[in-house]
Amino acid sequence: MSITRRTFLKGGAMAVVGTAAIPSFLTRAAWGAAEAGSNNRRLVVVFQRGAADGLNIVVPHGEQSYYAMRPSINIPRQQVIDLNGFFGLHPSLAPFKPLWDQRHLAIVHAAGSPDTTRSHFDAQDYMESGTPGVKNTSDGWLNRTLQSEPAADSPFRAVALGTSLPRILAGKAPAVAVSNVNGFGVAGGNPAIPLGNTFEAMYEQSVDSVLNGTGRETFEAVKMLKSANPQHYTPAPGANYPRGRFGDALRQTAQLIKSNLGVQIAFTDIGGWDHHVNEGATEGQLANVLRDFSQSIAAFWIDLGSLAEDTVLVTMSEFGRTARENGNRGTDHGHANVMFVLGGPVRGGRVYGRWPGLDPSQLNEGRDLALTTDFRRVLGEAVYRHLGNANLNTVFPGFDNAQRAFLRYLG
Amino acid sequence: MSRPRCNHNKGTNCAQAYLRGVVVLTLVLAATAVLSAAKKNKNAGADEQKRALHALDRLSFGPRPDDVQSVAAMGVDKWIELQLHPEKIDNAAMQARLAGYRTLEMSSREMLLEFPPNPAVKAVMDGKLPMPHDPYRHAIYAAAIDRIEQQQQQKQNAANAAAQNASTSPASTPNVQPTVQTADLAQRPEDRREAHTVAEDLALLPPDARMQRILALPVAQQRDLTQGIAFEKRQALLAGLSPEQRETLLALNNPSGVINGEIQSAKLLRAVYSDRQLEEVLTDFWFNHFNVFIGKGADHYLVTAYERDVIRPHVLGKFKDLLVATAKSPAMLFYLDNWQSEGPDSEAARGVPVRGQSPGMNGPFARRGVMYPVPRPPRPPQQPNAQSNQQKRPNGLNENYARELMELHTLGVNGGYTQQDVTQVARVFTGWTIDEPNRGGSFVYKPRLHEPGEKKVLGHKIKESGENEGIQVLQIFAHHPSTARFISTELAQRFVSDAPPQSLIDAMSKTFLKTDGDIRAVLETMFRSPEFWAPETYRARVKTPFEFVVSSLRATQAEIADPQPLLAMLNKMGMPLYGSQPPTGYSTKADVWVNSAALLDRMNFGLALATNRLPGTNFNLAQLLNEAPLADADPYQVQLKLEHALVPGDVSKQTHQTIEERIVGPQAMAQFEDPSHPTNVNVIAGLLLGSPEFQRK
Repeated sequence: MSITRRTFLKGGAMAVVGTAAIPSFLTRAAWGAAEAGSNNRRLVVVFQRGAADGLNIVVPHGEQSYYAMRPSINIPRQQVIDLNGFFGLHPSLAPFKPLWDQRHLAIVHAAGSPDTTRSHFDAQDYMESGTPGVKNTSDGWLNRTLQSEPAADSPFRAVALGTSLPRILAGKAPAVAVSNVNGFGVAGGNPAIPLGNTFEAMYEQSVDSVLNGTGRETFEAVKMLKSANPQHYTPAPGANYPRGRFGDALRQTAQLIKSNLGVQIAFTDIGGWDHHVNEGATEGQLANVLRDFSQSIAAFWIDLGSLAEDTVLVTMSEFGRTARENGNRGTDHGHANVMFVLGGPVRGGRVYGRWPGLDPSQLNEGRDLALTTDFRRVLGEAVYRHLGNANLNTVFPGFDNAQRAFLRYLG
Repeated sequence: MSRPRCNHNKGTNCAQAYLRGVVVLTLVLAATAVLSAAKKNKNAGADEQKRALHALDRLSFGPRPDDVQSVAAMGVDKWIELQLHPEKIDNAAMQARLAGYRTLEMSSREMLLEFPPNPAVKAVMDGKLPMPHDPYRHAIYAAAIDRIEQQQQQKQNAANAAAQNASTSPASTPNVQPTVQTADLAQRPEDRREAHTVAEDLALLPPDARMQRILALPVAQQRDLTQGIAFEKRQALLAGLSPEQRETLLALNNPSGVINGEIQSAKLLRAVYSDRQLEEVLTDFWFNHFNVFIGKGADHYLVTAYERDVIRPHVLGKFKDLLVATAKSPAMLFYLDNWQSEGPDSEAARGVPVRGQSPGMNGPFARRGVMYPVPRPPRPPQQPNAQSNQQKRPNGLNENYARELMELHTLGVNGGYTQQDVTQVARVFTGWTIDEPNRGGSFVYKPRLHEPGEKKVLGHKIKESGENEGIQVLQIFAHHPSTARFISTELAQRFVSDAPPQSLIDAMSKTFLKTDGDIRAVLETMFRSPEFWAPETYRARVKTPFEFVVSSLRATQAEIADPQPLLAMLNKMGMPLYGSQPPTGYSTKADVWVNSAALLDRMNFGLALATNRLPGTNFNLAQLLNEAPLADADPYQVQLKLEHALVPGDVSKQTHQTIEERIVGPQAMAQFEDPSHPTNVNVIAGLLLGSPEFQRK
């Protein structure tokens, strides 16, 4: 929920009000008015940067071709975590199996962007702008999701975990980049003179439009986060985040969500998927990244506790990798890929989408897994049916956003 | 002026009066001329100052307090010309600062021996390589061996634990990953206290004796000493040691970290202190353009030589020379995987046996410097293994380098190439590889890996000619109009603005093509262009984290004793030096770096630097302002002086008033009467460094 009366009444508001004007969201909350169209539903997007190898992540172990095409880097049938007799998980994704069994985890295979570029940079750009093939889209689809459904003006309505605001959240609607929840503020100086307020005044009155806007967002967010008392946070028992950047990012995402700051959209990314050489099989480079990936997400799920009911997490990667291994026990840039969808309302325990097959004649350009589900189909359903935002033609312009085509992975 | 009374009848009077008139007229005219010239000079002076500031903002990493004056005095055009010829600028002081970083001058091969990576250590553990005798090197290897043994033990323990847990309910996620190393010293307070005591005692010893004692300690204690103790204690422990001793101590903990630390430190120090500022800016630019990630495997050991021998020497030369040098560099060959690329029809792929080696310098009959034509006995032909007879080995072609060569290094993503071109270019470059990459080897062309046959690239037929095919292709790219446009655009984005005017890019591209890709000429076109000096270009760029940190250090004339904390700060800000994992390198555009986390980081950095809370860096405000003792200074005067020193000519009314009212004003000053906070006026500097103005250049 956005800033609540609970926060205000705790006296947080008094600490928040320094020499700056009272932010409008507080005023609204103070009068106890519920924002129109408000709900607790939230969407978390995880981008695997570097073109993750979908075929070794959700393994089509029922396909003969898979083994023929990957003699040295395949996952043997005895070692996949079988899901439905045809597909299985890479063994490093063991933490996902309980989520699958509990029917909260769904998989969409042979999904991705229809654009044929094999440039990481362009493909990521297209997936973040939500307009494959179009280069001059200035904002990201997540930002358009916010724009098209104005709601509570909580500065934490959209957060990106990391040191920069990603393309996917670029745009007119405010979004906040947080690299460290506990360090989010201005430190030091004489405690009698709150320097944060001085900086705030400087930025507020600055005629520099770029810095002025960001400055204002920043200080609203700082005050709000401080009032939520982040120092005293600990993850829920059983939520064992692995050490590392990705685990940290998800841990802090959970922290922000649980701190009642009105987080509706969260984004983070994880790199290290571009395995042209020595990808490995059940062990190796990909296996290591998958371990980090699945442990972090599983810990996040547990950490959310009851808030998981209203949360949907979706993963994406700019493209997949070649069906055949290359000469260096790795794979090159491919096409379709796998997407995970995890959430309370998700009808999990199923693989969605049409499987095109791995027979050489069924491959895209004779080399990659062919595409049968556009990524916007998957994301559109989350935006429409989970976040309740019906403006899909704004979020994904130029795409046929018809609801009848949804995969219906949400219950 | 009254007319002289002149009566021709009186004679001389007329002449005198006339002369007087002329003198007065001349004087008046002269006075007017002088006054008008003075006014012009004042305007020109002000204009020249503004131009000097802009030139400094763009061609350097930021002005130091006296720079604007001195550049204006020299003449901006002259200064630019000088910067374009760095060999004319004395840099001895810079060299002196870097003298302690021995790895900067080492070859990759030397580095690998002195600061071994795990594979080299494992080779010693397996008996394949001898354990070094030299006491310092021996200690480094011994520490590394111990570390590896610990890791193996931990992995074993974790595997055992996982096996036991296999049947337990998976309600909570198992923490199975083998975490590195023993627990942090920070979590072992007893041991930490012990380490501090030992460190203090050791610090009292003269360097040689100190080293002897440390090397005699058990490895675990060495580890604690070099890794986990407090910053100041570590500084004391390292004080007075020779560069080799210092590096050895650091290597006890992390050998390849020494190399990282030195090259990152050098980059930061050069940016802050070098007088060849444009050369440093261009080295940063070209490294970023031909990005290599220091964290990728062997690249740890290849990046130092890459920047030193491949990038820096070519920054102002011909683009084609720079391009070829990067294409042949072990760093790039490794980073983009070309060293492993194999043609599908190459001898290697077909399993053709390796030809016997010809007699030569290394043969048993070779004498020093003389090649004896004694033939060696012929080697028995190798039996091709059965498998290669029956089935072709999988395609070993790697397209990574070919793609990035066109997309990122030369033509640009819209440069007009196709996927077919990518594959063809990849075939061209098969065989371009590294001799013994794990031993820091150099470029070698191996015909065995090369794809035979003619290739077609961008419509050009490339006849089969071995290594020369690659050279041909590089020349095609280096002279391509798309390359001219792409490079010009990148340079303009760095030096002019995020969206530079097309007219400028066109002019620069024209120069590029006309001068065979002469970078200096292209820069001259840019620096002389009206677009570069247009008012909208002033302050148009937002500084990247690196530019922000360096410009702060230059503006405050801070003295850096230990760059490590600053490097850590850059990591936190999202711009680890040499740390861009994707080949696109770091963006210079505002929208990437302007966000909440970044702004807060910058404000906090500015305050920390200004109030001397950055370990390893010292800011002397009194010295900067020539104002000692500072306590007696009038705070408002301090504010004015700091504004002039740190943000010359560009402090906004808003910033000025905010500081004046809240920090310097009478009510605020009352709160400053706190003896426990003596550096309160330093806060003004911090606020200026964090101000909106200072984020721009």
